[in-house]
Amino acid sequence: MSRQSAFSTFGVEAAKMRDLTILMTVSGFVIFVIVAVLFTLAIRARRDTIGHRGGMRLVLWAGAMIPTVVLAALLIGTLPAMRPIQANRDALIVDVAGEQFWWRVGYRTPDGGTITAANEVRIPVGRTVDFRLSAGDVIHSFWIPGLAGKVDMIPGRTNRLVARATKAGRYRGQCAEFCGLSHALMAFDVVAMDPAAFDRWLLAQRSAAPAPTTPIAQRGAALFADNGCGGCHAVAGTVAAGKIGPDFSHIATRTTLGAGIIPMSEVNLSRFIAHAPSVKPGARMPAYTHLAPADVATIARYLETLK
Amino acid sequence: MSEEHQNNLAARLRSRRVTLWTLIVPPTVWAVHFMFCYLWVAVSCAKLGGFARFPVAFVIGTIVALAIIIASGAVAFVQSRTPGDPPPHDESTEIDRTRFLATATLLLAGLSVVGVLFTAAPALMLTDCR
Amino acid sequence: MSLHAQDDANLRAAQEERLRAVWKPPSGWFFRWTDVNNNRVGMWYTLTAFGFMLFAGVLALIMRAQLAVPANDLVTASTFNQLFTLHGSMMMFLFAVPMFEAVSIILLPQLLGARDLPFPRLSAFGYWSFLIGGVFVAGSIFFNVAPDGGWFMYPPFTTRTDLAGLGADIWMLGLSFIEVSSVAAAVELIVGVLKCRPPGMRLNLMPLYAWYILVVAVMILFAFPPLIAGDVLFELERLLGWPFFDPAKGGDPLLWQHLFWIFGHPEVYIVFLPSIALFAMIVPTFSQRHILGYPWIVLAAVGTAFLSFGLWVHHMFATGLPKISLAFFSAASEAVAIPTGVQIFVFIATLWAGRVVFSTPLLYCLGAIAIFVIGGLTGVMVAVAPFDWQAHDTYFIVAHLHYVLIGGTLMPLFGGLYYYWPLITGKKLSDRMGRTAFWILFVGANLTFFPMHITGLLGMPRRVFTYPAELGVDGLNLASTIGSYLFAAGVLVIVIDLALSPKRAKAPRNPWNAGTLEWLAHPDDEDWGIRSVPLIESRYPIWDQRDFVAKVDEGRFFLPDAEEGRRETIITTTLDARPAQVIRLGTPSVIPMITAVALGSVFILTTYHLYWLALGGAVATLAAVLVWLWSTAEIPEKPEKPIGHGIVLPLYRSGPAAPGWWAMFITMLADATAFSGLVFGYYFFWTVHPNFPPSGPGMDGPGAFWPMVAMALTLVSWATTVAARELNARGQVGAARALLSLGLAVTLASLFAGLAGPWFSDLAPKLHVYPAIVWTLAIWTAAHAGVGVICQAYTLARSLAGRMTSEHDADIRNITVYFHFLALTAIVTYATIGLFPSAS
Repeated sequence: MSRQSAFSTFGVEAAKMRDLTILMTVSGFVIFVIVAVLFTLAIRARRDTIGHRGGMRLVLWAGAMIPTVVLAALLIGTLPAMRPIQANRDALIVDVAGEQFWWRVGYRTPDGGTITAANEVRIPVGRTVDFRLSAGDVIHSFWIPGLAGKVDMIPGRTNRLVARATKAGRYRGQCAEFCGLSHALMAFDVVAMDPAAFDRWLLAQRSAAPAPTTPIAQRGAALFADNGCGGCHAVAGTVAAGKIGPDFSHIATRTTLGAGIIPMSEVNLSRFIAHAPSVKPGARMPAYTHLAPADVATIARYLETLK
Repeated sequence: MSEEHQNNLAARLRSRRVTLWTLIVPPTVWAVHFMFCYLWVAVSCAKLGGFARFPVAFVIGTIVALAIIIASGAVAFVQSRTPGDPPPHDESTEIDRTRFLATATLLLAGLSVVGVLFTAAPALMLTDCR
Repeated sequence: MSLHAQDDANLRAAQEERLRAVWKPPSGWFFRWTDVNNNRVGMWYTLTAFGFMLFAGVLALIMRAQLAVPANDLVTASTFNQLFTLHGSMMMFLFAVPMFEAVSIILLPQLLGARDLPFPRLSAFGYWSFLIGGVFVAGSIFFNVAPDGGWFMYPPFTTRTDLAGLGADIWMLGLSFIEVSSVAAAVELIVGVLKCRPPGMRLNLMPLYAWYILVVAVMILFAFPPLIAGDVLFELERLLGWPFFDPAKGGDPLLWQHLFWIFGHPEVYIVFLPSIALFAMIVPTFSQRHILGYPWIVLAAVGTAFLSFGLWVHHMFATGLPKISLAFFSAASEAVAIPTGVQIFVFIATLWAGRVVFSTPLLYCLGAIAIFVIGGLTGVMVAVAPFDWQAHDTYFIVAHLHYVLIGGTLMPLFGGLYYYWPLITGKKLSDRMGRTAFWILFVGANLTFFPMHITGLLGMPRRVFTYPAELGVDGLNLASTIGSYLFAAGVLVIVIDLALSPKRAKAPRNPWNAGTLEWLAHPDDEDWGIRSVPLIESRYPIWDQRDFVAKVDEGRFFLPDAEEGRRETIITTTLDARPAQVIRLGTPSVIPMITAVALGSVFILTTYHLYWLALGGAVATLAAVLVWLWSTAEIPEKPEKPIGHGIVLPLYRSGPAAPGWWAMFITMLADATAFSGLVFGYYFFWTVHPNFPPSGPGMDGPGAFWPMVAMALTLVSWATTVAARELNARGQVGAARALLSLGLAVTLASLFAGLAGPWFSDLAPKLHVYPAIVWTLAIWTAAHAGVGVICQAYTLARSLAGRMTSEHDADIRNITVYFHFLALTAIVTYATIGLFPSAS
C-alpha cells in the first residue's frame, strides 16, 4: 500500500472513513447482486407469472419501501460521522496555504509566533492538530488520504480541518483540486512523529538556518545572495527574506523537492534551479540557464547544508 | 362524523380540480422547505455565528410543510379512488385522467414526506455551525 | 366529411398530392439547408451531436494514452488540461444535452401524431446555433487555445486573465450561446408536449417518453439560467474587471460554484432521464405488454426532477461550508435514489409480467441498467459526506460519473439507436454487429472504469496529467487505458454498422411489433409526418385500437388534407387533449440560419474583444428576430376550418390558448430564473460580508430615490400595457395605440431612471463587489426595459400595419406576459438595491 492510500490510514478520521467505505462497498455489492438476480428472473419468467397486482407490489416494496428504509438507515447512521472532532485546548495549530504549486506551512507556537516551513507537514501522534487552510492564488485542496478527508483551500476564506494521527510514519498528501498546469505536481510529505521527537524537531525549526561552514557552501551562499534568490525565498538568519516562494531555512531536512515530486539531492536541486519551468510547468520560478552549471551546483551544495 | 357527512366530504374533495399544477404541490412544498432549511442555516451561521438550541422556526416550518403535503396527499388519495368502472384505469376518459393525476400526486406526496423528513434529520443531529 | 368520404381512393390520392406539395422540402445546394421539417433538422442535429461525441471520445483516448504509464510525457501538461476540459465540456454541452433534444425533435411529433412541432423554425435556429457554437468551442483545440480550466471553470483560476487565456472566454461565450439554443429547444419541446398532442391523448395516455421530455425540458428551464447568470458575472469579471469572484475586492469564488452546480447537478438528470425515457419505450415493446405502474414512472420522473435541484452542494462537500448545510444536501442526495429505484423496479416488474422477446435494443437496455446501477450505488456512497471527503476529486468520482453517464446516457442511446433506426431510415441495423459492439462496449466500459474506483481510493486525484510510480496505481491505470481503447473499438463497430446501413434493404413497417404511436411511420416515409391525426383511446393504440394503422393511412382521422396549401397541425388542450385550434406552421426559411449566425457573431466577436463589431452583430440579430416575428401570428384568410368528423376549429387563438403565449411564458420563466441567480448573488455577498453594503467612496449608493422612481415608472408602463390590451380587446384600437405609445415613453424613462441611481452615486464597479452587483442588477433590469420598449413599439407597428386587430390580439397578449415579468424584475431589483441597504 502506498503512502498516499486512503486505506493505509494513520488518523482517526481516515480510519472511520475506511470502515465506512468497506461497509458501503459490501452493501452495494449485495444490492447489485439482488437487482441482477431479479432482472434475470424477470426476463426468464413466462407471461403473467406475476400479474398486475404482483408487479405493483414488487414496485412498491422492492422499488420504494425497502430503498427508503435502507437509505434512512444510512442517513441516520452516517450523520454523526459528519460531526468534526473537537479541537483540544492544546491542539497544535498549523497554517497551510496552497500556492501554485506548493504549500506554505506555518506552525503556531504557544507564544504567538509562527515557524515557517514549506512542502512538508509534520504532526505529533496523539495530539489533535487544527489545520487552518487558505490559498494564496487559486483554489487548491488539502488532502492527506491516510489522515483525513480533503478540505478545499479557497482564496479569501480560511477553512479548518481537525485531525489526529494515531501512528507514526512517513506519508504523502496531494493537492486534490485542479489548480493549473502543474496541479499533478503538487504533493507534500507528511511525517507523523512521536510527540517528544516532534517537539525536538519543532524546536530545531525555530532556530536560524545554520551558517555555511565549508568554503563551497560559503561560495554557494554568496551566489544565492548575488543572484537574488532571496527575493523569493527566505533563509532565516540571513538577508534572504522573500515570501513569494518556499522557505529554505531548513530545506535540507525535507526528503523531497519541488512539493513532493522529486527526491532531495544535489542533482535534483541543480536541475530545479536551472530548469524549474520544465520540471514544474507553470511554476513562478524562472529558469536559471544563464548560470554556469558549476555555480548552480554550488548553490545546490549550499542548500544541502540548510538542515 | 356521520357516513353521509363523510360521503359529502369525499364528494367535495373529488370535485376539486386536478391539474398539472396540483400534481407538483407536494414536491414544491418539499423544495420550499428545503430552501428554507438551507437559507435558515446559511444566514444564521453567517450572520449570527450559530443557531438557537431549540430552533422554533425550523420545527414550525417542518410541521407546516408536512401538513400541506399530507393534506394534498389525502385529497389525492380520495380522488384516486373515485368509484366507477373497474380497473385498469387507463382509458381516454376524464375520470381516468383524474385518477391518474391523483395517483401520481399521492405518490409524489409520499416521496415528499420522505424528502422533508430526510431534510429535517440533520438539524436534529448536528447542532452547530462547524 | 363523414367516415366514408375517405373511401374514395381518388380523393385520397388528391389529398396526398396536396400534402406532398405542401411538405415538399426545399432543394438546391444551399436552400436544402433552409429546411425546418423536424425530421431533417432532427437528423442533422443528431448526426452533429454524434460527431461531437466521437471527437470528445478521441480526446479521452489521448488522455488515456498519456496515463497508461506513470511519468509519461506523450502530451504536455497544457495539452492535457485542454483535453480533459474539452472532453467534459463537449460531452455535456455538445453531446448529452443536444443529443436528447435532437432525438426528441425527431421523435416527439411522431409520438404525438403531430405533423411537426409548433415552432419548426425555432428548432432550425437551435440547430444552427448549436453547430456554430459547437464548432467554435471544439475547434479551439486545433489552435492550442482550448479552455483549460476544467469543465466547471472554477474562478479565480479561470477569471484571472494572467492564468487563463482566451480559452476561458471561448468556453464561457461559446457555451453560453449553446445554452441559449438549449433553452430554445426546451420551449419548443414543452409547448409540443402540452399543446400538440392528438385528440384523445389525455395526460394519462401520453407516451412515457413525452412525460420525460416534458419533465426534462422544464428542468432545463430552471437549471440552465443560473449558469447563464454565472456566465454573465464571469465575463463581466474577465472583460471589465468587475470583481465578483475576487476575494481581494469583496468577491467570493464560492458564488460561482453555487451557480455552476445549481446548473450542474440537475444537468446530470437532464441527460439521464431521457435515457430512462427510451427504456420506457423499449421495455414494453419487448415485453409485449403495457408498462406496469404508469403513474409510478411519472412519480419517478417528477420526483427526480425536483430532488435534483436539492443536490448541488454535494459537489461542494469539501469547500468548508457548515456541516449541517452539507447534511441537507447529503440527505437529498440519498433521497433521490428512491425515485430512481422505482424506475428500475417498474422495468423489472414489466419484464416479469410480460413475455420477453430478446433483441439487440433490449440487450443494450439491460447492459445499460447493470452499469447504471453500479454508478447509482457509488452515487449513494458519495452522497455520504464523510466518504466523499475521501473520494471527492479522485478517480473514484471519475469512475462513478462514467458509470452513471455510460449506463445512464450513452448505452441507452445506442439501444435507442438500434430501436429507432428503422423508424428514421426504414432500415434495421445489423443484429450481429449490434450485439458484437454491445459486448465490446460492456467489457470495455467495465475494464476502463471499474479499476478507477480503486485507483482513486489509493490516492490518485483527478485531472492530473501524470502520476508517480510510487502511488502503486500503474497496473490499474494500464487496465483502464486498455479498456478505453476496447470501448472505442465497440463504438467503431457501431459506426461501421451505421455506415453500411444505406446499402441495406428496407425493413417491414413496425418491425418490433410495438404498440406506440410513433411506429405508424412507414419505411418510405413522406415528409408530412402523419397522414391523418388520430383519435387516441389507449396508451398503445397500435396494439389496442382496431384497424388503427389503416384508418390513419386512409386519412380517416383528423386533418387528412391541406386544402389551403399550408403546413398545419392540431393544437389540443393541455389536460384532456380536446381539439382547440389548427395552427399554420413555419415553412422553410433562411431566417433561422441568419439569426443564428448573427447571434453567434455577437458571442464570438466578444470573445476576441471586438466590441463594436459585436454590437453590430447584436443589431443584426435584433433585425433578424423582428423580421422573423413579423411573419408569425398572421391573421388567417378565414376564421376557422373543418378537420373532419364534423369538427371545426379556429385558425387563430390568442392568450393562454395559443402556443405562442406559452412560448413567451416559458421563455420568461427561464429569464426570471437567470435573474434570480443574480439576485442570489447579491444576498450571497450579504451573507459572506459582515458589513454589506460597505461604505466609502465609489461604494455608497445608489440611494432609494432613483430606484423608487424607476420602480414606479416600470409599474406605470406595466399598467398601460395591461390597459392597452383590455382596450384593444374591447375594440378601442385608437386608445390602445395611444396607451402603447405612452407606455413606450414611460418604459424608456424607467430604463434611464434605473441606471440613474448607480450612475449619480458614482458607484465604481471595479472597486468592490457591491457596486459591481448593484450595477449588474440595474443593467439587467434596464436591458429588460429596453426589450420592453421594443415589444411595445413592435406591437404598435403591428396594430398600425393591420396585423393586429381587436379580435386578433396575440401580439399584445404576448407582450403583456413579458411586462408581467418585467414588473416583477423591476420590483425585486429596485427593492433590493434601493431599500435593502437601509433595512439591513
